[in-house]
Amino acid sequence: MHLLAQPLVLSHFQALALFAFFTSAVFAVISHRTWRERAKEFLWTFLLFVVVGVGLGWVMYLFSR
Amino acid sequence: MTNTATPRPAEAQRRAGRTGPAAWPYVVGFLGWLLPGLGHLVQRKYDRAGIFFVSVAAMAGLGIAMGAKLYVLPFGEGQGMFVGLLHVLAFLGDLGAGLLFFLGWMAGFGRDYLARASGDYGTVFFLCAGLLNLLTVLDAYDIAVGKKD
Repeated sequence: MHLLAQPLVLSHFQALALFAFFTSAVFAVISHRTWRERAKEFLWTFLLFVVVGVGLGWVMYLFSR
Repeated sequence: MTNTATPRPAEAQRRAGRTGPAAWPYVVGFLGWLLPGLGHLVQRKYDRAGIFFVSVAAMAGLGIAMGAKLYVLPFGEGQGMFVGLLHVLAFLGDLGAGLLFFLGWMAGFGRDYLARASGDYGTVFFLCAGLLNLLTVLDAYDIAVGKKD
Protein backbone atom coordinates (compact mmCIF):
# COMPACT_ATOMS: atom_id res chain seq x y z
CA MET A 1 0.00 0.00 0.00
CA HIS A 2 1.27 3.45 -0.80
CA LEU A 3 1.76 6.00 1.96
CA LEU A 4 -0.21 8.61 0.05
CA ALA A 5 -3.92 7.91 0.25
CA GLN A 6 -4.45 9.65 -3.05
CA PRO A 7 -1.33 10.20 -5.18
CA LEU A 8 -1.32 13.34 -7.26
CA VAL A 9 -2.47 12.53 -10.78
CA LEU A 10 -1.43 14.90 -13.54
CA SER A 11 -2.24 14.68 -17.21
CA HIS A 12 0.64 13.89 -19.55
CA PHE A 13 0.75 17.48 -20.72
CA GLN A 14 0.67 18.92 -17.20
CA ALA A 15 3.54 16.67 -16.17
CA LEU A 16 5.48 17.66 -19.30
CA ALA A 17 4.88 21.37 -18.73
CA LEU A 18 5.90 21.26 -15.08
CA PHE A 19 8.99 19.22 -15.85
CA ALA A 20 9.94 21.61 -18.65
CA PHE A 21 9.34 24.67 -16.47
CA PHE A 22 11.59 23.70 -13.55
CA THR A 23 14.28 22.07 -15.65
CA SER A 24 14.46 25.07 -18.00
CA ALA A 25 14.72 27.44 -15.05
CA VAL A 26 17.76 25.61 -13.66
CA PHE A 27 19.41 25.25 -17.07
CA ALA A 28 18.90 28.94 -17.87
CA VAL A 29 20.30 30.21 -14.57
CA ILE A 30 23.31 27.90 -14.70
CA SER A 31 24.27 28.58 -18.29
CA HIS A 32 23.96 32.37 -18.55
CA ARG A 33 25.18 35.35 -16.63
CA THR A 34 22.66 38.13 -17.15
CA TRP A 35 18.97 37.96 -16.40
CA ARG A 36 18.09 38.97 -19.93
CA GLU A 37 20.08 36.07 -21.36
CA ARG A 38 18.62 33.75 -18.77
CA ALA A 39 15.07 34.77 -19.62
CA LYS A 40 15.67 34.13 -23.31
CA GLU A 41 17.32 30.79 -22.58
CA PHE A 42 14.48 29.81 -20.26
CA LEU A 43 11.79 30.59 -22.81
CA TRP A 44 13.66 28.85 -25.61
CA THR A 45 14.43 25.72 -23.58
CA PHE A 46 10.89 25.54 -22.21
CA LEU A 47 9.43 25.88 -25.68
CA LEU A 48 11.72 23.19 -27.07
CA PHE A 49 10.90 20.79 -24.24
CA VAL A 50 7.17 21.19 -24.85
CA VAL A 51 7.28 21.16 -28.65
CA VAL A 52 9.63 18.18 -28.85
CA GLY A 53 7.66 16.33 -26.16
CA VAL A 54 4.35 16.81 -27.92
CA GLY A 55 5.97 16.01 -31.27
CA LEU A 56 7.44 12.76 -29.98
CA GLY A 57 4.04 11.92 -28.51
CA TRP A 58 2.45 12.20 -31.93
CA VAL A 59 5.25 10.17 -33.52
CA MET A 60 4.64 7.38 -31.00
CA TYR A 61 0.90 7.59 -31.67
CA LEU A 62 1.59 6.50 -35.26
CA PHE A 63 3.00 3.20 -33.97
CA SER A 64 0.58 2.65 -31.12
CA ARG A 65 -1.73 0.29 -32.99
CA MET B 1 49.07 40.86 -27.03
CA THR B 2 48.39 41.67 -23.41
CA ASN B 3 44.84 41.37 -22.13
CA THR B 4 44.11 44.76 -20.60
CA ALA B 5 40.43 44.15 -19.86
CA THR B 6 39.47 44.54 -16.22
CA PRO B 7 38.88 41.06 -14.80
CA ARG B 8 35.66 40.31 -12.98
CA PRO B 9 35.96 40.07 -9.18
CA ALA B 10 35.92 36.27 -9.07
CA GLU B 11 38.42 36.06 -11.91
CA ALA B 12 40.65 38.63 -10.26
CA GLN B 13 40.45 36.73 -7.02
CA ARG B 14 41.36 33.49 -8.77
CA ARG B 15 44.30 35.08 -10.56
CA ALA B 16 45.53 36.51 -7.31
CA GLY B 17 45.28 33.10 -5.72
CA ARG B 18 42.91 34.33 -3.02
CA THR B 19 40.23 31.70 -3.22
CA GLY B 20 40.01 31.09 0.50
CA PRO B 21 40.82 27.84 2.29
CA ALA B 22 41.53 24.93 -0.03
CA ALA B 23 38.63 22.96 1.37
CA TRP B 24 36.12 25.76 0.82
CA PRO B 25 34.96 24.69 -2.68
CA TYR B 26 34.33 21.19 -1.40
CA VAL B 27 32.43 22.50 1.62
CA VAL B 28 30.32 24.60 -0.73
CA GLY B 29 29.70 21.58 -2.93
CA PHE B 30 28.71 19.47 0.05
CA LEU B 31 26.32 22.13 1.33
CA GLY B 32 24.81 22.51 -2.13
CA TRP B 33 24.26 18.78 -2.32
CA LEU B 34 22.81 18.62 1.19
CA LEU B 35 20.18 21.29 0.54
CA PRO B 36 19.53 22.63 -2.96
CA GLY B 37 20.75 26.22 -3.23
CA LEU B 38 22.64 26.22 0.06
CA GLY B 39 25.98 26.19 -1.75
CA HIS B 40 24.98 29.41 -3.48
CA LEU B 41 23.42 30.91 -0.37
CA VAL B 42 26.68 30.72 1.60
CA GLN B 43 28.37 32.52 -1.30
CA ARG B 44 25.69 35.24 -1.22
CA LYS B 45 24.20 34.31 -4.56
CA TYR B 46 20.72 34.72 -3.18
CA ASP B 47 18.81 34.85 -6.46
CA ARG B 48 20.36 31.67 -7.80
CA ALA B 49 19.99 29.94 -4.43
CA GLY B 50 16.27 30.73 -4.40
CA ILE B 51 15.64 29.54 -7.93
CA PHE B 52 17.60 26.33 -7.43
CA PHE B 53 15.91 25.55 -4.15
CA VAL B 54 12.41 26.18 -5.47
CA SER B 55 12.99 24.23 -8.69
CA VAL B 56 14.65 21.18 -7.16
CA ALA B 57 12.38 21.04 -4.13
CA ALA B 58 9.28 21.45 -6.30
CA MET B 59 10.35 18.64 -8.61
CA ALA B 60 11.18 16.36 -5.70
CA GLY B 61 7.92 17.25 -3.95
CA LEU B 62 5.85 16.69 -7.07
CA GLY B 63 7.61 13.38 -7.57
CA ILE B 64 6.78 12.23 -4.06
CA ALA B 65 3.21 13.46 -4.40
CA MET B 66 2.81 11.50 -7.62
CA GLY B 67 3.97 8.31 -5.92
CA ALA B 68 7.64 8.14 -6.85
CA LYS B 69 9.63 5.06 -6.03
CA LEU B 70 12.88 5.95 -4.27
CA TYR B 71 15.80 3.65 -4.97
CA VAL B 72 17.85 2.77 -1.92
CA LEU B 73 20.20 0.12 -0.60
CA PRO B 74 20.28 -2.85 -0.68
CA PHE B 75 20.37 -3.18 -4.41
CA GLY B 76 18.02 -5.61 -6.06
CA GLU B 77 18.63 -9.09 -4.78
CA GLY B 78 17.93 -11.81 -7.25
CA GLN B 79 17.72 -9.35 -10.12
CA GLY B 80 19.78 -9.64 -13.24
CA MET B 81 22.94 -7.62 -13.67
CA PHE B 82 21.29 -5.14 -16.04
CA VAL B 83 18.41 -4.39 -13.68
CA GLY B 84 20.88 -4.20 -10.82
CA LEU B 85 22.93 -1.65 -12.74
CA LEU B 86 19.82 0.43 -13.42
CA HIS B 87 19.02 0.27 -9.72
CA VAL B 88 22.49 1.58 -8.86
CA LEU B 89 22.19 4.45 -11.36
CA ALA B 90 18.71 5.34 -10.09
CA PHE B 91 20.02 5.28 -6.52
CA LEU B 92 22.86 7.65 -7.42
CA GLY B 93 20.45 9.98 -9.19
CA ASP B 94 18.03 10.00 -6.27
CA LEU B 95 20.92 10.52 -3.87
CA GLY B 96 21.70 13.75 -5.71
CA ALA B 97 18.67 15.34 -4.05
CA GLY B 98 20.56 15.24 -0.74
CA LEU B 99 18.49 15.87 2.34
CA LEU B 100 15.24 15.76 0.35
CA PHE B 101 16.01 12.14 -0.51
CA PHE B 102 16.79 11.14 3.07
CA LEU B 103 13.80 13.02 4.48
CA GLY B 104 11.49 11.47 1.90
CA TRP B 105 12.75 8.00 2.66
CA MET B 106 12.65 8.45 6.43
CA ALA B 107 9.08 9.78 6.18
CA GLY B 108 8.14 6.50 4.55
CA PHE B 109 7.68 7.68 0.99
CA GLY B 110 8.87 5.85 -2.09
CA ARG B 111 8.87 2.36 -0.59
CA ASP B 112 6.50 0.75 -3.05
CA TYR B 113 6.24 0.78 -6.76
CA LEU B 114 3.01 2.44 -7.82
CA ALA B 115 1.89 0.68 -10.97
CA ARG B 116 0.38 3.76 -12.59
CA ALA B 117 1.63 6.30 -15.07
CA SER B 118 1.69 8.95 -12.36
CA GLY B 119 3.99 6.76 -10.28
CA ASP B 120 6.43 6.46 -13.17
CA TYR B 121 6.29 10.20 -13.74
CA GLY B 122 6.90 10.75 -10.05
CA THR B 123 9.95 8.49 -10.11
CA VAL B 124 11.37 10.45 -13.06
CA PHE B 125 10.57 13.79 -11.41
CA PHE B 126 12.46 12.82 -8.27
CA LEU B 127 15.35 11.37 -10.23
CA CYS B 128 15.67 14.56 -12.29
CA ALA B 129 15.46 16.67 -9.14
CA GLY B 130 18.53 14.80 -7.93
CA LEU B 131 20.37 15.23 -11.22
CA LEU B 132 19.51 18.93 -11.41
CA ASN B 133 20.81 19.36 -7.89
CA LEU B 134 24.10 17.80 -8.91
CA LEU B 135 24.34 20.41 -11.68
CA THR B 136 23.77 23.18 -9.16
CA VAL B 137 26.49 21.66 -6.98
CA LEU B 138 28.94 21.92 -9.87
CA ASP B 139 27.84 25.53 -10.42
CA ALA B 140 28.42 26.36 -6.75
CA TYR B 141 31.83 24.69 -6.91
CA ASP B 142 32.78 26.70 -10.00
CA ILE B 143 31.84 29.91 -8.21
CA ALA B 144 33.89 28.91 -5.17
CA VAL B 145 37.03 28.23 -7.22
CA GLY B 146 36.57 31.45 -9.22
CA LYS B 147 35.66 29.98 -12.60
CA LYS B 148 32.31 31.77 -12.50
CA ASP B 149 30.94 34.74 -10.65
